[in-house]
Amino acid sequence: MKRRIEVLMLACCLVAWLINPAMAADTIKIGFHAPLTGFAASDGKSATEGATLAVKQINAAGGVLGNPLELVVYDDEAKPAQAIPIANKLIGQDKVVVGISGSYSGATRSAAGIFQEAKIPYISAYGIHPDITRAGEYVFRTSFLGHIQGKAGAKLLGEMMGKKKVVTITLQNDFGQSLAAGFEEMAPTYGIAIVGAYQYSIKDRQFGAIVAKVKADNPEAIYASGYYFTAGPLVNQLRAAGVTCPIIGQEGYDSQKFIEIAGPAAEGVIITTSLDRDSEVPETADFIREFEAQAGFKADMVAASGHTAVMVAADAIRRAGSTDSDKVLAAMKTTDLKVSTGTIRFNALGEVMKAVQVQVVKDGNWHHYAVIDDPELLAPPEK
Amino acid sequence: MLYVELLIQGLIYGCMYAMIAVGLTLVYGLLRILHVAHAGLFALGGYLGLLLTNATGSLLLSMPLAAGLVGLLGMVVYRLCYQPILDRPPYVALIASIGLFIAMEELFRLIFGPYGLTYTHAPLQQLFRFSGVTLRAVDLAIVVGSVSLLGSLAWLAKNTRTGIAWRATVDDPQMAGSFGISVLKVRYLNFFIGSALAGIGGIFISLLSNLVEPTMGGVPSYKALAIIVLGGLGNVGGTLIASLVLGVVEAFGTIFIGDYLDRDAIAFGFLILVLMIRPQGLFARS
Repeated sequence: MKRRIEVLMLACCLVAWLINPAMAADTIKIGFHAPLTGFAASDGKSATEGATLAVKQINAAGGVLGNPLELVVYDDEAKPAQAIPIANKLIGQDKVVVGISGSYSGATRSAAGIFQEAKIPYISAYGIHPDITRAGEYVFRTSFLGHIQGKAGAKLLGEMMGKKKVVTITLQNDFGQSLAAGFEEMAPTYGIAIVGAYQYSIKDRQFGAIVAKVKADNPEAIYASGYYFTAGPLVNQLRAAGVTCPIIGQEGYDSQKFIEIAGPAAEGVIITTSLDRDSEVPETADFIREFEAQAGFKADMVAASGHTAVMVAADAIRRAGSTDSDKVLAAMKTTDLKVSTGTIRFNALGEVMKAVQVQVVKDGNWHHYAVIDDPELLAPPEK
Repeated sequence: MLYVELLIQGLIYGCMYAMIAVGLTLVYGLLRILHVAHAGLFALGGYLGLLLTNATGSLLLSMPLAAGLVGLLGMVVYRLCYQPILDRPPYVALIASIGLFIAMEELFRLIFGPYGLTYTHAPLQQLFRFSGVTLRAVDLAIVVGSVSLLGSLAWLAKNTRTGIAWRATVDDPQMAGSFGISVLKVRYLNFFIGSALAGIGGIFISLLSNLVEPTMGGVPSYKALAIIVLGGLGNVGGTLIASLVLGVVEAFGTIFIGDYLDRDAIAFGFLILVLMIRPQGLFARS
């Protein structure tokens, strides 16, 4: 009896061993890491839903090179220390063809170096730190640098809206700081005087002190960086204290959740981002519709970014005609692809070159306000 | 005018800190345990208050209900988490408490989702103007609510048999026990009141930002510890004053030194400064 069980187990192992490589050969694996737990879990979930939708759409249309795509997802908790073993696992164990980060800058930076060393193409979907793409030629970014978006914010406020007396409220992390740096750099060009500059930490939800000071400053507009979970309470508290001037945010606000948290105070808030809700471009309109049907909540910038990164990866593999990493890299460098967040092209550093979408909250939803398409202003660094 | 507004905002911060820190200092005074999971109960208060308000449409109804539930859970935490390990060194309870806090955060995320919840109709958003100072009803509710709750707690502790038994147990549990006071009952009461206050604190914060999220206990989990150290560990009155002082320091600090230090850094810088001058805290127990 015992012997029989042993034989049976051996047979099972053998079958499993035979089946496994056969299955692996059938799918093309895309590695994906995002914060599914911890403080950034909501963004991680959105990004993963977006990426999953892209894989579904691609597989429904016949896959890539005749094979279905498989998304291998790990939770990095937005922690650099988690991202390193995950990157090694994706490369060594899962043998992914392309790696994608659906995570924040810290985790993305540490994984980028490992993908570069292993010579596997890697895309940062929305991590904004400038050093990410500097890891090497295998690393790409499909979203704007914070610095670039800050410059676009200055143009929006100073030139398009004609507001010259501005207060900045900056989130104290790489995202907020790089936005502020870009904004401050271009402010003199557009005649903007910064009459007050305040900072807050990502853990803050009560802004009473800053709000009191902003009221005393009496600016014509506020340029405030943050994520929906900080910007929602901030905008709410600014409006509650009677501050009525325009508030300009960025892609961190870009979530239906922001409007929910800020409530009626969200009306009229304007942001620079990558997703145009009113777009009639089929790639964007289809994405927004199908995302809502799949995820059960409204699409946001992070979701569109996860979706975009997978589309770019699949397109590169398709054009390379192979899963060989050097061929995929060569193809990715010449990307020219229309996706949910616009037309994606990369410069020599692997930075995306695309237009900035400006959205405004109207009747409890994000809507089109303007597009900033100024190649000179939006040019990402080449090295 | 700016200074007046900053002072008011500081007092609002301070009241919120007080609601959280009092429970923590009560537990420390009684059991010499740093009850980190207290911040988890604070977050639970936020969640229950919001869910009940959304379901019933009445904050007045849901607030005591949520506070009562959180209080009961606080007693359960004592019974299941602390009572079995009371004879171990204090760091054992501390480790258990930190573990429980992390587990609670992740449970909130699993049950209520990672995005955080908001009020369908946020209550107490009416505006009041007093000679140039604009306040929301929720700001007033926080100050009035905390002062009256903590004030009545102090009165009860001084003037009722239960309160006297409680203070006696904090001073000398063995002596109190030999006089016929049920030390166990006092401990349960302690956890009930401390947790219920933290729960109400959670509701106050959720009203201020119209948001409850799984990680909302993160900041209170360590800042309340700083406050009870500042107030002289186990000293309720000291904790109250320390909360208010810290709130005001933070409000002014955010504006005048916020470019160099964030809010937490200001708070802990202040703590270090005070401890250098008065190592026993502002108001050490005699």
